[in-house]
Order: sequence, then C-alpha cells, then structure tokens
Amino acid sequence: MKRKKSGKPGLINIILRNFISKPATIQYPFQQTVIEKDYRGRHYPDLNKCTGCSLCKIECPADAIEMVSIPGEYIVPRINPRRIYPVINYFRCVYCYRCVTICPVDAYITTNDHRLVSEKMINSSEYSLSTISKGGGSE
Amino acid sequence: MGVSKVIEIPYVVELPVGPQHPALHEPLLLKAYADGEEIVKVEVNTGYNHRGIEKLAESNSFYRNIFICGRVCGICNTVHANCYTRALEYLLGLEPSSRAKYLRVVAMEFERIHSHMLINAIIAELLGFEALFMNIMLDREKIMKAKEILTGNRVVGDYMMVGGVRRDIDGVKRDQLINILKKIRERVVYYRKLWMEDDTILKRLVDVGVLTRVNATKYSFVGPVARGSGVRIDSRASDKYDAYGEIPWRIVVYDEGDSWARMMVRWDETIESIDMSIYALEHLPSGETAIPDERKLPRKFPEGESYARVEAQRGELTYYVMSTGGVNPYRVKIRTPSFLNIIHSTILYPGYTVADLPVIFGSLDPCVSCMERIYVVDLNKGVRFRIRLKDLALKKVV
Repeated sequence: MKRKKSGKPGLINIILRNFISKPATIQYPFQQTVIEKDYRGRHYPDLNKCTGCSLCKIECPADAIEMVSIPGEYIVPRINPRRIYPVINYFRCVYCYRCVTICPVDAYITTNDHRLVSEKMINSSEYSLSTISKGGGSE
Repeated sequence: MGVSKVIEIPYVVELPVGPQHPALHEPLLLKAYADGEEIVKVEVNTGYNHRGIEKLAESNSFYRNIFICGRVCGICNTVHANCYTRALEYLLGLEPSSRAKYLRVVAMEFERIHSHMLINAIIAELLGFEALFMNIMLDREKIMKAKEILTGNRVVGDYMMVGGVRRDIDGVKRDQLINILKKIRERVVYYRKLWMEDDTILKRLVDVGVLTRVNATKYSFVGPVARGSGVRIDSRASDKYDAYGEIPWRIVVYDEGDSWARMMVRWDETIESIDMSIYALEHLPSGETAIPDERKLPRKFPEGESYARVEAQRGELTYYVMSTGGVNPYRVKIRTPSFLNIIHSTILYPGYTVADLPVIFGSLDPCVSCMERIYVVDLNKGVRFRIRLKDLALKKVV
C-alpha cells in the first residue's frame, strides 16, 4: 500500500463545515435523547403474576435480587402461597434481563426507562407493590 | 602507568508512564528507561485491574457465567460471551439455528466496527489531533445506536445464549440498521483516506514501532498487530465458526509492520465488517427461530471439557471450559489477545523517542481489563498455584 502525502491538512473541509453548523452535542435536560422502545431499562415484577418461586434470584448473575415477604396489608393472589416477592436492587443490577427471560410465568414488566438516578427508587419494591391493592379500604 | 581509557556510562533516566497517566487510557505501568530522548528499555508492570473473573466463574452456574464472562471486557463483551457460549454448546452438543448464527455475526461485527473506530480515535488524540478524535467519536455514536437497536444496549449486549441469541429483529429494524451502516461506511472511507494522506498522522506513525514479520510470529502476536506485520492469521477464516463460512469477506494484511500499518489494518477491517454486516442483514435466513427458550435449556451439564476460540477485535480469544457434571463449571480458562500483545510489546519500544511511547502502546490496542493474571510458582516443589492479592500484599505466601 502506498502512502501519499498531500501537504494540506486533510481535516480542513470538516473543520470549515463545523464552523457554520450547529454543535453535535445534545443539550440534554432540554432535549431528550432518543431511546429505543425495547431498550433494556428499569424492570420490576408484576405481583399479580409472580408465584414467589425465587428462580430469578437464583439465576441473577449480579446477585441483585432478594426475596422479601409482602407486607401484611396487601391482598396477595392465591398463586403466591408463601407471600414472597423479588426485590431488585437497581444499584447492583446489570440490566441483562436474565430474570425477565427465565421467569416461568412472565411476571416481569419491562420499560425503556434509562434515567435511573433517584433517591427513592433504589429498589423495585415500590413499583411491584403498586401492582397489587391493599386490603380493607375499597375492597 | 596512567589511565589509558575511561568508560563513560550514559545517564539513563527511569521514566514511569502510568498507571494513571494522561497519555495512557489503560491502567498499566510502563517503566521506560530513557537515554536522553531515546528509549533503551521498557518494562511492563501489570496488576492494577485484577478482578479474579476466572475464579468467580467457578462458583457461579454455567448460565450466570455467560453474563459474567461478557463483563471481562466492556468493549469486547459480545465476543467474550460468544466464545464462552460456543464452548458450552460444544459440551451440550447443541447447534444454533442459521438465523441465530447470522445475528451473532452481525452483533460481533458491530462491536468490531465501534472498537476499531475507538482505537483510531484514541490514536488521533495521542498524536495531539483532538479535532479528528471528536469527529471519529461523533460517527461512532451511530454504530452505538445500531447496537442499541440490535441488542437493547449501547455497549454491553448480553446478546448470546446457549442455542441462539436473546433477541430477534424485524424488517423495520433491519432496514434501519442497513441505513445506519451505509451512512457509517461513507465516513469510514473518508477517514481511511485521511489516514493515508494527512501529514500529521504520517509523520507520527510511519516507521514508528516497527514489528518485523519474524518477530510477530516468534513472540506470538495476534490480531491486527500480527496482520499489520504481514502475518495472515485470523480465527474467523481458519475456524469458520457461526456464519463466517457463509459470508464473503477477506483477511486484511499489511506488510509494513509499523504503527501506521496496524491502524490501517483496523480501518480496512472496519470497512470489511460493515460490508459483512450489510450482507448478513440482507441475507438473513428466515423460517427458523433464533431465540431459544431459556426456561427449557438443560440446567446440568454433562462431564467433559471444551475449547472454543473467536477472533476478537484485538486478536484471537480462547475459552477453555471444564465440567465435572453438575451446575457449576470446574474450571474456566480465558486467554485474551491483549495478554500476548502487551506482555511481549517491550521489544517494540527501544530506539524510539519518549514521545513515541504512547503512540506505539496505543497502536497495539491495549485492553488491560482482559489481561490481568496472578500466579505463584514454587520453584522448589515445581508447583503453580494462585493466591489472593491481599495475601500477596501482606507477604503471607512469598
């Protein structure tokens, strides 16, 4: 392969074009980044379907899932006799979605939410518990 | 009798480059000995990024290890996962469908494109050519987007599974990917032309860090480093794993052996990869499902051992998996390309100036997270064993 020497800086065309064009950087808080619909974002178990089988906890490569008992005031479906549900620690989670694909009852709800910085939502318990209703009240 | 001769020993400066250094993008200590501006010797000191993944793999199940092995290295995660997954498939005697094979090739070639663009951008930055660095990184964003469309994440794909892949693409996504690839191809052709003509690049890269063909084979260099020295070595051609046997492509070889040739190999391979990906997407076999049902895969593996190799972006990557029957592997041995390329790179530096050191190091495409190892060899007993880093630091063993 022959190397040619041109003498002029080769990038000059791009540099001149960049002088008159807009910056390529996305102005983030004002302009949103475009994320695919099936991006692997925040996910949480739907407790109407979850049977508490703990398979997701066993298979999680990052050990991010813990099985926790459902608080007493919630009405739990009959398919979950042990009243336990998986809680995902979002700080530990690597978003591989192994729990989603391994779940025997397809209980996981997936979203493309990639903005995970939060003080409150450090685990999935609040999302999961919002899928079932509390006893008393309206029931 | 007077003194007839005086021997003057030149003053040699020991110059530590790294592990934290603006010119290096990897945690590695290059201890350079410089006589004036000229480097006379370089020692490579590693051990700043050791994580013990091989040991971790022994205490996790076969399937969990697919994701752990994918995290050995961020930028070559798909090839690591592919190599480990194929080793498991050899153990089980499974064969993925041809659609899955094509999709695997597309995912791995996407990774090669963005990895080669990254290292070329970094070389431009090491040369002090920041405008070029920014422009290449801007175009690299497009291929990251393509990877997001294909696998669901920009960097870590988690795309491989025993018996196939974890996601499929429809016609809309396929057209989207082909469009993106065609756009990138124009840009890559432009950059390749720039690397052949620009004076700044030619002055800093040509005839710097020359590796002869004899030395490349003698010291077992692999990947684009060996191919830049005229060695025709590529596991994709020799093994024809996945769908590489069905897709037309050629091995890129340059004979010059200098830093420039290594970078040009990467640009040419990027163009080859784009063409391969477009071909694979256009000729994607239909009819068979690419996604295995992960719930029905066997949990226990038969007794045996298997060995798989793959052409990663930096060279040949091999996995050895040993199973004694059960849920966890008995041993997982990883041999990464950077392990060969970096340890033996000390022969490249002598004779060049201090300013050339980061450029030569960068032209090898170093990946330190892949290559950290700790072994203790007891010479009296002739045994080899591994210890914890903590024990080594406290000198409990040595």
